[in-house]
Amino acid sequence: MQTKDINEEIKWAQINKDVLRSMENPRKAYWVAVGMCLAMLACAVVAEIYQYRTGMGVADLNWPNMWGLYIATFIFWIGMSHSGTLLSAILHIIHADWRKPIYRFAEAMTTFSLMTAGLFPVIHLGRMWNMYWVLPYVSDRGIWPNFRSPLVWDAFAIFTYLTSSALFLFIGMIPDLAICRDNARGWRKKLYTVLSLGWAGTDRQWRHFRKTYLLMACFLIPLAVSVHSIVSSDFAMSIMPGWHVTTFPPYFVAGALYSGCAAIITLFIILRYFFRFEEYMTIPIMEKTCKLTFAIAMVWTYLNLIEFASTWYGHDLVAKEVLVDKFVGHWAPYFWAMLFFGSVLPFTLAFEKLRRHLPTMFVVSLFLNVGMWLERWMIVGPTLSMAYQPFAWNFEYPSMVQWAIVFGSFGWFGLLFLVFVKIFPSVSMYEVKEMVYHRRRAHVEDQAVAFHRRAGDGQPVTDTP
Amino acid sequence: MSGNQINRRDFLKIMGWSGAGVALAGCDRPTTVTLHEGKEEVVSYLMPEEYVIPGVGVYYATTCQQCPAGCGIHGRVREGRVLKAEGNPDSPVNYGKLCQMGQAGVQGHYNPDRMTKPHIRKGGNLVEASWDEAMALLKQKVGPDSGLAGDRFAWFTGQVSGHQAVLVNALMDSLGSERHYVHEVVNNAVTRAVNKDMLGVATPRYRIDEAKAILSFGADFLGAGQSPVHYATEYATFRTGDRGVLMVAEPKMSLTGANADLWMAVRPGTEGVLALGIANELVIRHKRKIDNLPAEVRDLITHYDLDTTAQITGVAGDRIVKATQWLHSRTPSLVLAGQSAENQAHGYQIAAATMLLNMVLGNVGRTIVPGTELPFPQLAAKQGGTADLRAFAKAVEQGAYDAVFFYNTNPAYTAPSYMKLAEKLQSKVGFKVVLTQFPDETAKQIADLVLPLHSPFEDWGTHVAASSYDEAVISMQQPLMEPLYPTTRGFGDIVLDVLKMRDSDNYGQYADYYAYLSQAFGALSADWQKTLQTGLLKVEGQAQRINAKAVKVSLPDYKQNAEFPYHLVPSARLGLWDGRHANIPWLQEAPDQISKVVWDSWAEMHPATADKLGVSTGDYITVTSDQGTIETQVYVFNGIHPDVVAVPMGQGHEEYGRYAKGRGVNPLKLISPKHDAKTGELALYGTRVKVAKAGRSEALVRMGGPGRNEAQLGRKLVATVTADVYRRTEGANDVA
Amino acid sequence: MSLKNILENWSQYRRGHEQGGHHEYEHMWGMAIDLNKCIGCNACSVACYAENNLAIVGKHRYSKSQAMHWMRIERYWDEPELEKAGLVTKGKTIETGASFLPMLCQQCNAATCEPVCPVAATYHTPDGLNAQVYNRCIGSRYCSNNCPYRLRYFNFWSYYEDSWPEPLHMQLNPDLSVRDKGVMEKCTFCVQRIRVAKDEAKMADRKVIDGEFQTSCQQSCPTDAIVFGDMLDPQSRVTKLWKTHQVELGKSKQSKQNPDKRGYRVLEGLNTDPCIMYLERVREV
Repeated sequence: MQTKDINEEIKWAQINKDVLRSMENPRKAYWVAVGMCLAMLACAVVAEIYQYRTGMGVADLNWPNMWGLYIATFIFWIGMSHSGTLLSAILHIIHADWRKPIYRFAEAMTTFSLMTAGLFPVIHLGRMWNMYWVLPYVSDRGIWPNFRSPLVWDAFAIFTYLTSSALFLFIGMIPDLAICRDNARGWRKKLYTVLSLGWAGTDRQWRHFRKTYLLMACFLIPLAVSVHSIVSSDFAMSIMPGWHVTTFPPYFVAGALYSGCAAIITLFIILRYFFRFEEYMTIPIMEKTCKLTFAIAMVWTYLNLIEFASTWYGHDLVAKEVLVDKFVGHWAPYFWAMLFFGSVLPFTLAFEKLRRHLPTMFVVSLFLNVGMWLERWMIVGPTLSMAYQPFAWNFEYPSMVQWAIVFGSFGWFGLLFLVFVKIFPSVSMYEVKEMVYHRRRAHVEDQAVAFHRRAGDGQPVTDTP
Repeated sequence: MSGNQINRRDFLKIMGWSGAGVALAGCDRPTTVTLHEGKEEVVSYLMPEEYVIPGVGVYYATTCQQCPAGCGIHGRVREGRVLKAEGNPDSPVNYGKLCQMGQAGVQGHYNPDRMTKPHIRKGGNLVEASWDEAMALLKQKVGPDSGLAGDRFAWFTGQVSGHQAVLVNALMDSLGSERHYVHEVVNNAVTRAVNKDMLGVATPRYRIDEAKAILSFGADFLGAGQSPVHYATEYATFRTGDRGVLMVAEPKMSLTGANADLWMAVRPGTEGVLALGIANELVIRHKRKIDNLPAEVRDLITHYDLDTTAQITGVAGDRIVKATQWLHSRTPSLVLAGQSAENQAHGYQIAAATMLLNMVLGNVGRTIVPGTELPFPQLAAKQGGTADLRAFAKAVEQGAYDAVFFYNTNPAYTAPSYMKLAEKLQSKVGFKVVLTQFPDETAKQIADLVLPLHSPFEDWGTHVAASSYDEAVISMQQPLMEPLYPTTRGFGDIVLDVLKMRDSDNYGQYADYYAYLSQAFGALSADWQKTLQTGLLKVEGQAQRINAKAVKVSLPDYKQNAEFPYHLVPSARLGLWDGRHANIPWLQEAPDQISKVVWDSWAEMHPATADKLGVSTGDYITVTSDQGTIETQVYVFNGIHPDVVAVPMGQGHEEYGRYAKGRGVNPLKLISPKHDAKTGELALYGTRVKVAKAGRSEALVRMGGPGRNEAQLGRKLVATVTADVYRRTEGANDVA
Repeated sequence: MSLKNILENWSQYRRGHEQGGHHEYEHMWGMAIDLNKCIGCNACSVACYAENNLAIVGKHRYSKSQAMHWMRIERYWDEPELEKAGLVTKGKTIETGASFLPMLCQQCNAATCEPVCPVAATYHTPDGLNAQVYNRCIGSRYCSNNCPYRLRYFNFWSYYEDSWPEPLHMQLNPDLSVRDKGVMEKCTFCVQRIRVAKDEAKMADRKVIDGEFQTSCQQSCPTDAIVFGDMLDPQSRVTKLWKTHQVELGKSKQSKQNPDKRGYRVLEGLNTDPCIMYLERVREV
């Protein structure tokens, strides 16, 4: 049984070779995946064009269910975006080096799910051609957006987070891009030359790099927490029962981390399998991620219980009605499915045998995310369908247009990710080397010192020390 | 009335059609923008028409034609288009208020499915024709050389009044005919007959505003009644100050019932028993004197003690006691009978029983008072019922007529299927002329000649309300705008043309109906301009005289029907009325006040009955009488007697334009051939039916969605106080 | 909402609605609806369709709850107060008729729809109206979601062709626009009529006279259940009614000297400060 996070005997050239190999010569399976994603995206594009031309009515949204799947899926993708960058930053700061083989694709996932999430507020607008009105651009008529509106905060938060996490991803990739540059030909060479920003691995460059990276990590942690808190204000700042909940910010952050971790597990297994990254994305790292996910799942469950309890014992009869309806009413099937996937299913992560069994984890991680999608739907749906005015209570049955767009968003995300893994190294080469070095040094101090001396000479490492 | 001060500004703008109006009525039309001529052209406002003030709405007074009540309205006209109908504050009928049907008049006017050209039936099909052809055909069939014998001609119309009624009569005179059938489905014909017999006048004035307690036996005076707006304004007075109590006994909750303090589900046809039971209770418990009633009536009343009454009517004894208590303690009271009570096979007896109750309560002379009548009987409203429909069907069957003119009515839709009216008309009457605004069933299915009419907003006319009010008025109808279609004509103009064919000596002098009307007003020595501006000509009315006289009443025993265990209630609703407004999208989209259903038919059913059948709201059921079957969706609610299935009138049109055609079902088709012996009125509410599950189900389209909750769930949405509190705090001095 | 404006009027913008709001109000249009008189007949609703160019959505879209009834009559069956007092047996409430509730935009002074609009398309006017600027609306629908009364309606479709086939479009009121797909709309208290009345008063150099104009719903109401007017005018009918029934603006809970007075505001406890006062329904029991 594998117990070490990484093979300490691995050769540095082997690392480069393995990672660079994963970026070349796409196999048939890759093109099939690209085709599938394109087809999914096409569904969404067709649906969106139809909706754009005809009106939001084609989504079967209604009075008073005005938001539907669009906003639920928006929160889902925003949530998905949280684990990558946030975990990467936190683990970086606390020197948890097992993050190193997996943080790159996780950060990419962050960026792409943000790019997916950002589409939904636009898609759901009745007049999306005017969406730029939510931004505070200078208008000669002195018209500004309404700074009191959580939707405007959203726009700021998402743009800030997208910029920062993309920067974080990019900065962390610079040394690797230099490796790519040195090993590439043709257009790739040109691309990596530009992107690697003249990285030569000098001492000065490394110093600045380390400092910048650390600063970015420090900046990103509060930013990531605030982004999802702000998204939660879309609901928490409202007056509606079931939305007007004080615990929503931490609840949303926990949910976000949860779904993000689950997605990391899914992508971990996919990448490990297709790119034969068994040497890097090892079972012990998988186990660590699973344990983390389990811990977050329990936090999420706890926050759920708090919410139920405070609503149940609170004096707000209307909020209680919504809660009771979730328990036993129209929404009960989805609600209990959410609780099962979100709170019961993660207990599989508590068993070592299951944790180490990748097919099981693959399925489990997918269902965890189904549960988390349902959670978002359970936030948006029930409150809209029943609030203060009983005569206006109503249900919504989303149309194929809504489903197509939601479905297509996964294609869009997948496509971005597929393009990424073939252009950029999805495992951080230089950091895996650091990890291998540090691990090895812990056992073989002398060897490591020698290694370090040589590695610091600014030349690309092409040979074993 | 608050309206007076409110509309002061508007008053300045209220105009009559002066120069332009006259020109319009003459041959040379003013060149305003009409739909077909100038829609695409830019018309310069440098040379505006006299009555077109850019950007400013001008108000013209006219009369609402959406139901027979005859409310006065102000039409808002801007840039030559009529935009909105608002109540005329001067009218003693509606005091500046207007119901939803009146509001929707503009959609009848601009209806996309209007009849725009004359049509002649050729080889079974209606073919578009010119007015020359149409008039030639008229001349051939009813002209002086047609050889049409006077008694072979008949008019079949809805309620007509004013100078249109005069013209209708004139045409009959010129032909030597005596038959004018007047048909209205929503009517009070039986009550009128009872009033005539027991009070001496058919339409006394009901003082709802004076009453302190009202007991209505299915009289939906707030909804589908004789003058809903007028009675609603009186109802407001009734409810303020020393607030009156409203009790309603009916098989299915009407809009009036929905506003009751005590609503009693009564077994259909037993309303008379309930009335006499209450009379008995008044005598026994409250020692009311009934010595002035004939002995046989007194005997009859004693027959209905509390238990018997409760048992027959299905109304709980304590409710009867309560209602009696209120009627006794709160005087003056008023007892009204409406369609569900009087349109039974013994409707006259029921209505008479309710009038007896009025006599026991001493209401005659207090809340049932003499009204004012117009001194010109020839202008008075010719009120209709269903007796004329029956008589007409019979006469047609016997082949009594060669030519029939239809106006303001749609018998092909409203006649019960047992009459087979359409087929009989097709085979037995040679020449059927339908004067109509819309392609309705009568026009499409049976007419030989369809003459497209101006809408009420394009035509001239005068109207006299059927009910009695404070003042006697002749209400003016004048064009609010250029006709939308150059090929429609006014009713008066067409009838005048026919009259000219037959009697040019008398009628040749009138260029058109406008000339005829203005001359007639000259004869009344009325100020024509002023009348047009106010829309009303108030005349010194004649006071009615009431002589109360009790009649003998005999109420048959209630009988169960094993094969057809349920009663069919073809309820009328304020909105689609008898189906004439089914082509108006606003009224289709305005929810039924009680069930909140839109755009369709439904069958109301009591939860107990629904349980028995195993159906719930939204399931389809079949309702079968001995005359046929209809299939519609169920709406389950408590406001209906368990033995009753109510299917509202209005839908189920086979023609009538895009908004009406093929929508819902028509309960009138199920009516069994029963009628009131005394008046000959159809027993519209006397049909027995059986009900079965149809097996399909879909969501019933109602306001709100399927998740709608109709309880307040602890929120203070509609809060309630008791009348005692109200009288204590606001009793006499209501600031509003 | 220019920056300069904010900076110059900072203290004013800091004022909550309890202190009179951040406007120097010229008017405060308000309403009183007497449920004792309301018969639920729908005249107001259709009058609103006629005045405000409301779209007819048809059966299919109505079935999807996409109707545009700015003025809707809700109908409830229960009577909690009477049931609690033991005057009516639960389940027997049908014997005392229905409870009709005309619901139109409550023109809240602390409107929950206003702060959430990302582009400030809905805002409070110096007339005390909760205005909706159709041209500014981008259709995020947040306002509707945050309206506890559910009185905002969204143009899910372009209704022009379907709702007003020729020549029905000739009825459209030129005083206000026909809304296209993607914008939110709601009752405006017939702002076009307010506008005309204000302009005329200004031209004549006088104040707007109470009762000079009516909202469309008020005008049609056969029982005069709706009273509309300026609540800053101490002599207006609506002010007097509010006073008589001891309901005040700027409160989330009324402290009535006489608790039997019938005035109340729907969902007042949410502190939305609506400008429509309802008068309790009355029942003989």
